[in-house]
Amino acid sequence: MKNPLIKRVPRELKSDWHKYIVIIFFMILMIGVISGMYVGHDSMLSAIYSGQKDLNLEDGNFELTSKATADLLDDLSDQSTKVDIYEHFYRNESEDVDFDGEEDATIRIYQSDSTIDQASFLEGRAPEKDTEIAIDRMHANNQKINIGDTIKVGDTEFEVVGLLSYVNYLTLHESNTDLMFDSFGFDVAMVTPSAFDDLTSRIHYNYAFTYDKTPEDEIEEADFSDIFREDLIELSYANGNPLQNYVPEYLNQASNFAPSDIDGDTTSSSILCYILIGVIAFIFAITISNTIEKESTVIGTLRASGYSKRELIVHYMSMPIIVTIIGAILGNILGYTAFRRIALNLYYNSYSLPSCDLVWSNTALIKTTIIPLFLMFFINLFIIIKRLQLSPLRFLRNDLTKVRREKARRLPKWSFLARFRLRILFQNLPNYLVLIFGVVFIELMLCFAFGLPDSLNYYSKTASSMMFADYQYVLMNPKDAMGNEITTSEDTAEKFSSKKLMYPKDLNATFEGYGSGEDEEVTVYGIEENSDYIALPETLDADEVYISSAFSNKFDLEEGDTIKLHEEYEDQEYKFTVAGIIEYDGGIAVFLGNDNFNDIFDRDADSFNGYFSQHEITDIDEQNIATTITAEDITKVTTQLQHSMGDMFVVFKFVLIALSAALIYLLAKIIIERNEKSISMVKILGFKNREIASLYILSTAIVIILFTVIGFLIGYQLMTWIFKMFILQMDGYFAYYMSFQSMLLSMLYLLIGYVFVSIIDFIRIKRIPMDVALKNID
Amino acid sequence: MTEKFLEIKDLKKSYGVGEARQDVLRGMDFTVKKGEFCVLLGPSGSGKSTLLNIIGGIDTPDSGYVSINQDILEDMNEKQLTMYRRKHLGYVFQMYNLIPNLNVKENIEVGAYLSDNPLDVEEVLTTLGLQDHKYKYPNQLSGGQQQRVSIGRAVVKNPDILLCDEPTGALDYKTSKEILGLIEDCNKKYGSTVIMVTHNEAIKHMADHVIKLRDGVVRHNDHNDNKIDASELEW
Repeated sequence: MKNPLIKRVPRELKSDWHKYIVIIFFMILMIGVISGMYVGHDSMLSAIYSGQKDLNLEDGNFELTSKATADLLDDLSDQSTKVDIYEHFYRNESEDVDFDGEEDATIRIYQSDSTIDQASFLEGRAPEKDTEIAIDRMHANNQKINIGDTIKVGDTEFEVVGLLSYVNYLTLHESNTDLMFDSFGFDVAMVTPSAFDDLTSRIHYNYAFTYDKTPEDEIEEADFSDIFREDLIELSYANGNPLQNYVPEYLNQASNFAPSDIDGDTTSSSILCYILIGVIAFIFAITISNTIEKESTVIGTLRASGYSKRELIVHYMSMPIIVTIIGAILGNILGYTAFRRIALNLYYNSYSLPSCDLVWSNTALIKTTIIPLFLMFFINLFIIIKRLQLSPLRFLRNDLTKVRREKARRLPKWSFLARFRLRILFQNLPNYLVLIFGVVFIELMLCFAFGLPDSLNYYSKTASSMMFADYQYVLMNPKDAMGNEITTSEDTAEKFSSKKLMYPKDLNATFEGYGSGEDEEVTVYGIEENSDYIALPETLDADEVYISSAFSNKFDLEEGDTIKLHEEYEDQEYKFTVAGIIEYDGGIAVFLGNDNFNDIFDRDADSFNGYFSQHEITDIDEQNIATTITAEDITKVTTQLQHSMGDMFVVFKFVLIALSAALIYLLAKIIIERNEKSISMVKILGFKNREIASLYILSTAIVIILFTVIGFLIGYQLMTWIFKMFILQMDGYFAYYMSFQSMLLSMLYLLIGYVFVSIIDFIRIKRIPMDVALKNID
Repeated sequence: MTEKFLEIKDLKKSYGVGEARQDVLRGMDFTVKKGEFCVLLGPSGSGKSTLLNIIGGIDTPDSGYVSINQDILEDMNEKQLTMYRRKHLGYVFQMYNLIPNLNVKENIEVGAYLSDNPLDVEEVLTTLGLQDHKYKYPNQLSGGQQQRVSIGRAVVKNPDILLCDEPTGALDYKTSKEILGLIEDCNKKYGSTVIMVTHNEAIKHMADHVIKLRDGVVRHNDHNDNKIDASELEW
């Protein structure tokens, strides 16, 4: 015979459906979002990695000054690192989307018959006629170009017939030295070979290569690449066709930036999910605890009749577990469908990614189903076991308090109603504690919803003021092809040296799971004496450096600390002492005197490789400039993030209002339910509904208002910490910022949610009949 | 009837400490035979409910013991006590303590589930006159009907002992007699030993065995050779 108690579960669900609807809705939403995120994440990574094989991703590419002879290519293929070489020529043309004669973007054009670095088509098809073109989907999206539209490339008009994603352009980095990709101002495209021939701009004689033997790891790949590069330089020079550019695949930002970014840790959002599941588990635990109190004599009778504690624990556990399973199943269904699409759209709004198929995600299953069930199970098990610990007799006598208070708590000489309210607070302390925890949690999420866009906006707005020079030009070489030093007539120009080193993220210094990513890239600047841009004291010792405030804030470095920087691909380490901090939040940077710089890094005295300038430098040949850094470059990342995530934050804020209202609704409902008998009794005594509401709702209101403010302060501090942990996983730095208006709004949103709940509470109080207090007196 | 089915030996129980200490049972001895209808009679505070709870294994004595079929309850651990209650006891309380969101039939099934050889639920419903109400929920029933359900929940287990704690305490005269009749029927029909706690003197006339308690001791321990049917009781 099946335990007849199980029949109570569907009836309980039905009788209190509005409560369970809210709880299940919560779970579906959270589990769905997390599941969608992981499924989207795993599907996208699987698509990227399978695309690398299916679409023949190169192992690297190089550009020669002119077309290579067959002999040169044969020679190159047959050096100590054996490679297959493919022609992969392109042209950089200007793209005019709106036919206003102005260049809207630089468009890089490849031929449709290429067998290496192929494209995945997200919409439409490859060009078949000479008047057709397929362009990057992300760029088309940003520039609002649709299939069927006509764009002007150089002097030729093309009809867009396909939106694609090249396997080697998952982010639109025009040059590998670009600080950030630019999917607005740069585009990649495919035309037929004859259309390619008809274009007029210079052909870039770019060749892609693949190794015959697949390198086992990145170190071997770096070795292969170094050897091949040396052979390449030597042979191309001997052939009178000097090398213009060389990029091994593992260093190619355009193909590696997106996967490494997508692959980043998603722990922070899972933690938010677990906190919420924890809150729901506590709501359940409190509800069950109240039910146990209410059903005390029934439990006593069942125990007296021979029901074991285990059977009753299983019985009371079944509801939260069933609800979690329902939430997990429906949440996962949504996760694998709608939310996966949302997650993928977030990626698609950021990067030029290929189309992807749904893949099963074990991580999603563990994080959205196993862990929530585990949390729900153990939190409830703990509370229920604790509650059912008493003897059957105690249950029969409705005597459930473990510790009996000797005397009633003395209250100050306030008015009767004020003291009554205080008594209600004390009586419902555990419920209010969960309510407070919930409020803090909501405030934390609101700080996230308001703070992240605020931080992005703030960073964008202040980026230009963060720059110590409006223009930074990093040169390919301090001397031009003729061996002359590259100079400029710009008055404000000042020489500097720079190089990239790596700073190891210290696993022990940060919370485990955070800061455990790759090493941080640090720009080391060699600054001229009496610089107009960076003021360094003249008395710096050889091992003393100044660091940027971003570096200091990100890794909690202070004056006197020692930092160890190392070369990325060489076994060379440099040790410096932090002598001071320079207010610069634009990047992770180290500053030292230029002479010292040249000395430490074995460069010629007076050597340099760049110019700071307040104005644009126009008299240096672009061929000699490796990178130009302006405020716009620094804000590219925030512009892109704002573009791809802006809408999501608006939705997220509204979801949070609903969430906060729902959470307060559940907890306030528990408080009113628990006090049903008392409310009924004061009704019998003649209290009006309004007075009763002032007693029960006002107590909750006071708690909510007080803890909204406290919760905000805690949430803000927590968010600052979480944000810092999050930034530690990424390269670069920007601080968490929240505007005053957002601070007020984050509190107001929660209170607006509460106003709705208190109206529902008032109706609920009105509906409590007077006979509740008179029934079941035993 | 078998001798000494239930044996109570020098049972003592007190509550509180120091000056507040109150001796509820002060050395109680008696035996009950299998199949007997035994009434524990006494005023409030005489210790009759405490005694019933100790027999039911939900309370423990300070000294002395209760043995049923030679098994001493005080030697049992919590699990064994639960099994003892599950396999041998049926409980009827003054308050019915029914599960509000289970209907009449399901409330009786709650008892049947516990037993290895339960009675037929439909038969119990018929015996208790609940056939027409079997799909109703407790809040749709009168007090008497609810007590019938609680008796059904206890007897459906086919228990060796049916413990009844003031089963008519919350009922009117007519309904009380009906309920007593039903307990009597169960005793006769299913052979359960009934131990009923009451302060109603009239009920002793329907019992085989009457034990009068006062101040925690047995004052009278009589067997009734002229018992009458519950329907003939007057008070």
